[in-house]
Amino acid sequence: MKNAIMNQKLLSIAVAALSLFPLSANAARPVKLGFINSITGKEAQIGENLTNGAAMAVDDMTAKGYAVTVVREDDGGDPKNALAAYEKLVTRDRVIGVVGPYTSGSANVVASRADQYNVPILVPAAAKEEITMKGYRNVFRLNAPANVYSLVLMKAVADFKPKTIAYVYAANDFGVSTVKTAQENALSMGLKEVANEKYQQGQPDYRATLAKVKAANPDLVFLVSYDADAILLMRQAKEIGLSPKAFLGAGAGYTTAQFAQQKDISNLVVSATQWTDDVNWPGASDFGKRYKARFGKEPSYHAACAYEAMRIMIETASKTEDPVKLRTTLKNGSWNGIMGPVRFSDYSGFTNQNNHSMLVQQIQNGSYETVYPAQFSKKNIVYPFRR
Amino acid sequence: MLFLQSLISGLLTGGVYALAGMGMSMVFGVMNVSNFAHGDLMMLGMYLAYFAFTLLNIDPYLSLVLIIPLAFMFGYVLEKVFINRVIHHPHQNQILLTIGLGLIMSNSALLAFTSDPRILTTSYSSSSFTVFRDVSVSVPLLLSFIITCGITALLYLFLSGTRTGMALRATSQNREAAQLMGINVSRITAIAFGIGTALAAAAGALIAPTYYIHPLAGHSFLLKAFTICVLGGLGSVVGATVGGLIIGVVEALSSVYLSSDWKDVVVFVLFLAVLLFRPQGLFGKKGDQ
Amino acid sequence: MMKQAIASAFLVVAAIALPLLIGDNPYVTGILITLLMMATLASAWNIVGGYAGQFSFGHAAYFGAGAYSTMIMLSVFNTNPLVGMATGIVVSSLIALVTGSIVFRLKGHYFALASIAVAEIVRLTVLNLDFTGGAQGILLSDVAFLGLDLNSKNPFYYGMLSCLVVTLGITAYLRRTRTGYYLQAIREDQDAAASLAINIAYYKNKALLISAALTSVVGSIYALYIRFIDTTAVLDLRLSIEILLTAIIGGVGTLWGPLLGAALLVPLAEMLRSNVLGDAMVRIGIVSETSPIGMFFKDGLAHAHVLVYGIITVLCILYLPKGILGLLRRGK
Repeated sequence: MKNAIMNQKLLSIAVAALSLFPLSANAARPVKLGFINSITGKEAQIGENLTNGAAMAVDDMTAKGYAVTVVREDDGGDPKNALAAYEKLVTRDRVIGVVGPYTSGSANVVASRADQYNVPILVPAAAKEEITMKGYRNVFRLNAPANVYSLVLMKAVADFKPKTIAYVYAANDFGVSTVKTAQENALSMGLKEVANEKYQQGQPDYRATLAKVKAANPDLVFLVSYDADAILLMRQAKEIGLSPKAFLGAGAGYTTAQFAQQKDISNLVVSATQWTDDVNWPGASDFGKRYKARFGKEPSYHAACAYEAMRIMIETASKTEDPVKLRTTLKNGSWNGIMGPVRFSDYSGFTNQNNHSMLVQQIQNGSYETVYPAQFSKKNIVYPFRR
Repeated sequence: MLFLQSLISGLLTGGVYALAGMGMSMVFGVMNVSNFAHGDLMMLGMYLAYFAFTLLNIDPYLSLVLIIPLAFMFGYVLEKVFINRVIHHPHQNQILLTIGLGLIMSNSALLAFTSDPRILTTSYSSSSFTVFRDVSVSVPLLLSFIITCGITALLYLFLSGTRTGMALRATSQNREAAQLMGINVSRITAIAFGIGTALAAAAGALIAPTYYIHPLAGHSFLLKAFTICVLGGLGSVVGATVGGLIIGVVEALSSVYLSSDWKDVVVFVLFLAVLLFRPQGLFGKKGDQ
Repeated sequence: MMKQAIASAFLVVAAIALPLLIGDNPYVTGILITLLMMATLASAWNIVGGYAGQFSFGHAAYFGAGAYSTMIMLSVFNTNPLVGMATGIVVSSLIALVTGSIVFRLKGHYFALASIAVAEIVRLTVLNLDFTGGAQGILLSDVAFLGLDLNSKNPFYYGMLSCLVVTLGITAYLRRTRTGYYLQAIREDQDAAASLAINIAYYKNKALLISAALTSVVGSIYALYIRFIDTTAVLDLRLSIEILLTAIIGGVGTLWGPLLGAALLVPLAEMLRSNVLGDAMVRIGIVSETSPIGMFFKDGLAHAHVLVYGIITVLCILYLPKGILGLLRRGK
């Protein structure tokens, strides 16, 4: 009896051990891709949007007849894990291309190893400029990097001739990178910096900081926040009575549906985004509708980026079936989908970077309206801001 | 004006810190346990307030009437089932047990509620009124401050006026002597942890309308609660109250007169300075440090 | 004693030969590097946490000091990595001395709490300064050292292995010296130790300094290995807690416990991360991929790996207060 149980145990261990080493695929030979994302950890919330977007792309492409297997890996936002995930995908799962990682730190580390293994990665949504500035041949990026966030925002309000600007931003990579480029852009526009407040995330009380900004009386308040910090800051800004000519929110926390729903604090806030559903890019509004029907919430731009990155990867990888050919095809190809025209080109220091045209949106009566650039917008920007 | 504004918002925020600190201090005093799950207990309070509001339509401040007894029972059981078994173990094991329990709570919450932050929006969430020309006072923050004062007063009366309260204080002063005096120390210990949990959950519920609710939201309050305890003196309720207010004000003022990103450093330096110059804290009794 | 020495020698030889057996498998070697790293960190922590009984919740500060010193010296001054490593040892020793001199006069909770405060001050300072890369971190494209191929994993495998051997060697040596006995006396009863005229603060500081320096060296090697660091990766409180959990779960205050802890936890964490368990269950056919339970194991279990850590910790404290090594010994 005891022996039988023992044998059974051994058998199940043996089976479990075998399953660690996937049997080599045969039959239809679906093309094998990897997807590294932050499913757990600090970035899990945005990670979920990417998971959903990529899942939709896989289903859409499967429905179109593409045979694809996507091995999903979690990095928990830790670069060490992202590297382990990439090495597992490349050497064990033998994928020919990888979408991800999401976070800038993880993407940085994986990008620096991609040329060593010669398996291309397509970064869907990491903002750090460095990632595509090191000349890596196997690193492609779909989204616009950090500097574009501030550039489009300032261009959108340039006509109104604001004179002063204040920065309020999270002490994280995205916050600091974005504000650094914003300062350069502000300098060239002749904007005077009157306050610069970097804050630690997760605090309950930003009122003192905001009161300080209010005392400096800026025309523009430039904000970078993740998640719900955006709601907290805008609530407290309303309490304090901070009322500049415009609130400019750089992506992330200022582009969520949750933020827009808080009408009394978010109305007329201007924000930069990689994607909106009312832009005339092919399939954008359809994607928005289907996403909402499937996941019960509005897609964020991260979801759209992941969708398009996965779609491009599946389409290209199916044609090439080989990492090196995949790289050259990515390099020379062009696509047009829910993120608009996509080409991975080399320009002003970037390599394999999609020169994505970011959008500026404004919350008007609880929904996001694209207000800049003119060719994509249906509504005009409301300036100055009023409560 | 700027000074007055930051002083007032710092003081009001400090009220919630004080509540969190008091719960921690209670556990410290009676049980001599550093409770690393305190932030996660606060998080549970936030979710309770959130669900009471969204599902049962109960105002978050009113829901305290439900949350406090519920959290007390939860803490009581937690102590009986887990903490009680390591009460005579070295500090380290107690700390680790509470870390483990905290990890279980926050990660269960992640599984159950996902990592999407919830926002508790009441009709008064971002309302404020103005005093002295230009200084604004947040209505929800003021409400929570007043409730905190009420809870503190009740706790004080309970500790000084009831038999159980006196037994709590006696146990906190000397466990062995209390036992010899015929106090049921094991029951008192469970009550102390129950009160600590109730205070943490109350602090969570009170901050919920002006904060966001997230499975890891308690963590930023954990270190503050520790700082407050040490500053006020381990085990001192009055100390924790004063400590909480001091931390709130120091944070607000240093973010105005120093910079927002260094304010946490100021708090931790203050913490080390207390350890260096007055290890028993502002209101602690000198002795076993 | 003799038996143990032979066993240790055998282990070391096996560990040296291991990469040859694995061959060119960067994924497995990478996990082994992490395993050796966590084993060394937990063993170094064990010197002050286990033997002296001073639970540090701030070892990330020493790890980060090593990592940042190396990266800054390399990227700003373009020095040899060894210079960075030495700088790291100096910086981490300074941090240890400051921490020690503030709290080693005090008992019980205070050291644990103060170590968190010091580590948070270090983290926030690095985050707020510019020359440390601040929130953006430091990325290094290329490092040269002794002509080694630093894109391959083996140099780091052997680097971490040497650190582990040195750390365990120091631990084994300390245990048999006066310092080791004094530390254990302090752990068991500080007042009794003081009454025997043992200079408590001196011996605690000594243990912390050794522990901090070793931790810093591991941080330096890690930085060279990963070549991108920021405060979240190398200075976070979570890292400190991971280090001490590894030591505790393995067996605190024992020579082999921390290594055992890492040998169990690192592969477990990787299995949960890469969802091998969930995949295996689906593949064996215990659960179907489309059923809710199957979906949970495939998608949910990845989310649950910290939860599993929590459960293991609680079970360990309640049932194995001496760690897994304690259990093995009791079983004999």
